[in-house]
Amino acid sequence: MTGVAWYVAGRLLQSAVLLAFVVTIGFFVIRAAPGDPVLYLYGAQNISAETLAALRQVWGLDRPLGEQYWVYVTNLASGNLGYSQINREVVSAMLARKVPNTLLLMAPSILLAAAGGVVLGTTACRRLGTATDYVIGAMSMVGYSTPPFWLAILLIVLFASTLGWLPTQGMATLGASSRGLAHALDVTRHMVLPVTVLTWWYLAAFTRLTRASMLEESRKPYLMTARMKGLSEARVFYGHALRNASRPVLTVLGLYLGTMLAGAVMTEVVFAWPGMGLLTFSAIVQRDYPVVLAVFIVSGAAVVVTNLVIDLLYAVIDPRIRYA
Amino acid sequence: MREQLAEVWRVFRRQRAAAGGFLALAVIVVASPSIVVLTGIDPEAISADVLGRPSLAHAMGTDYLGRDILGRVLHGVNTSLLVGASVAAIALSIGLVLGTAAGFYRGSIDHVIMRAADGLLIVPTFFLVLAVAFIFGGRLSFVIVMLGLTTWPQIARIVRAEVLALKEEAFVQSARALGAGDAHLMFREILPNTLPPVVAMIALLGSSAILSEASLSFLGVGDPNVVSLGQMLTSGLEYVTNAWWVPGFPGAAIFVLVLLLNVLGDGLNVALNPRLRRGGV
Repeated sequence: MTGVAWYVAGRLLQSAVLLAFVVTIGFFVIRAAPGDPVLYLYGAQNISAETLAALRQVWGLDRPLGEQYWVYVTNLASGNLGYSQINREVVSAMLARKVPNTLLLMAPSILLAAAGGVVLGTTACRRLGTATDYVIGAMSMVGYSTPPFWLAILLIVLFASTLGWLPTQGMATLGASSRGLAHALDVTRHMVLPVTVLTWWYLAAFTRLTRASMLEESRKPYLMTARMKGLSEARVFYGHALRNASRPVLTVLGLYLGTMLAGAVMTEVVFAWPGMGLLTFSAIVQRDYPVVLAVFIVSGAAVVVTNLVIDLLYAVIDPRIRYA
Repeated sequence: MREQLAEVWRVFRRQRAAAGGFLALAVIVVASPSIVVLTGIDPEAISADVLGRPSLAHAMGTDYLGRDILGRVLHGVNTSLLVGASVAAIALSIGLVLGTAAGFYRGSIDHVIMRAADGLLIVPTFFLVLAVAFIFGGRLSFVIVMLGLTTWPQIARIVRAEVLALKEEAFVQSARALGAGDAHLMFREILPNTLPPVVAMIALLGSSAILSEASLSFLGVGDPNVVSLGQMLTSGLEYVTNAWWVPGFPGAAIFVLVLLLNVLGDGLNVALNPRLRRGGV
């Protein structure tokens, strides 16, 4: 095997240990929850104690906790995330339906914000100490500090209730056609407000980060060398400083892309967007524990994988890094 | 030490936004609890003036039960300040001790501590707190402890990195040569020197804790016995079109607290980090 392959194998092993840790903690925290799942589901109905006991036996709830844990882990190893008694559905199918909706919301927001943030942050650093720098700084500080749910409410009041321009709930108009161009336009209209809320915060975060890391780079002596070689100021700035400053930006981009599967719970709840965030929130409220646990595991795995990809990308940006 | 503090204060004061934020925050921290205690505002006192506009009697108007919104916002601000300060204190204590131990001892101690930190950094911690608060009940003290227990890795990582560098410094080596024990080296020699990068982090931890608590109570998982800004915002939502002040002021209060803490954190960061002070390109 080559060096890179060894590195990836080592990292995957480490990640597997980390995920096993998450699964274990998640499993036992949820089992520590007070209340009997069987009583929660059927307690209100008039069912005899024998039937309840039989249900416990069918679901394996009467077996020792260690055995239940082992069953869960072996199922998980074969890709089985369990069955939701409350929604009467296989958990992986529930997640598979929601993941695309969340990605549709998060991916454009994060990528748009990353691109805009790099431009704004670089501009601020280029014009350090000028009015442009202060305006960008102040705006990103405000954007970074706005509670997303509050911004969502302000936007709903302004664009939906007062002006009546945009829909505020869900992903598509009820009863409208579910295919073709009309549907795509309908979904896009529903996306505008939630994407604005998400981009608002991410844009501020990327702008602040880019400015800070450009500032850090711009003090390093290699830039003076580049200037003395007679390179143009633009080459020095964009060719040298920005390239090196992009490493922390890439790290954070990976972090955000990794965590996006967990969805933006606040934004999805306020706009009733049928994604992972809303699914998890309703699973918590309904005490649908298999779903809650599955979301933890799946989003943890997504973070681990994205981090690995980002680390491998470092080697592309920075020739000093070699995983061999 | 005295001269260093004077220098930090000098740089901090020169950043007008940060100094302004610090001043405004100081006024809120002193005024909001004192007003509540001195005037004995009852946040639950109802009146016949239901959904009243902001007026001289009620500066922020009244809500759907005729309760004075200003009085409730002050109570809510106190709750938020309590959450921010306590969560930061918990995360700080755990992060300092574990980060120092990890960097100082290395080896298996380091490994266990940092893997636990990694584990917390990969799970969606907001969901974790939300789920646990929902299952076990969202008492405020419980939410505070949960938020503290999930945010310490940020502190621990910074502290560990500082300790790794400081451990090899001459002043630590000479203290060791003089026969100082591990506890003395860790807590008297190394720990004080890791504080500068951590101080700015405290303000940011406080602001994110305030935001998290507000989000939890916005989702209805808050403590029903405590006046919380997030809860006021949710319960006022249905009046947003005909009485904007009911959800508007609590929301604005959360925004202002978070903004001031972030501005303060940024300013401290610049003042305490010598590399950020000098001019750029």
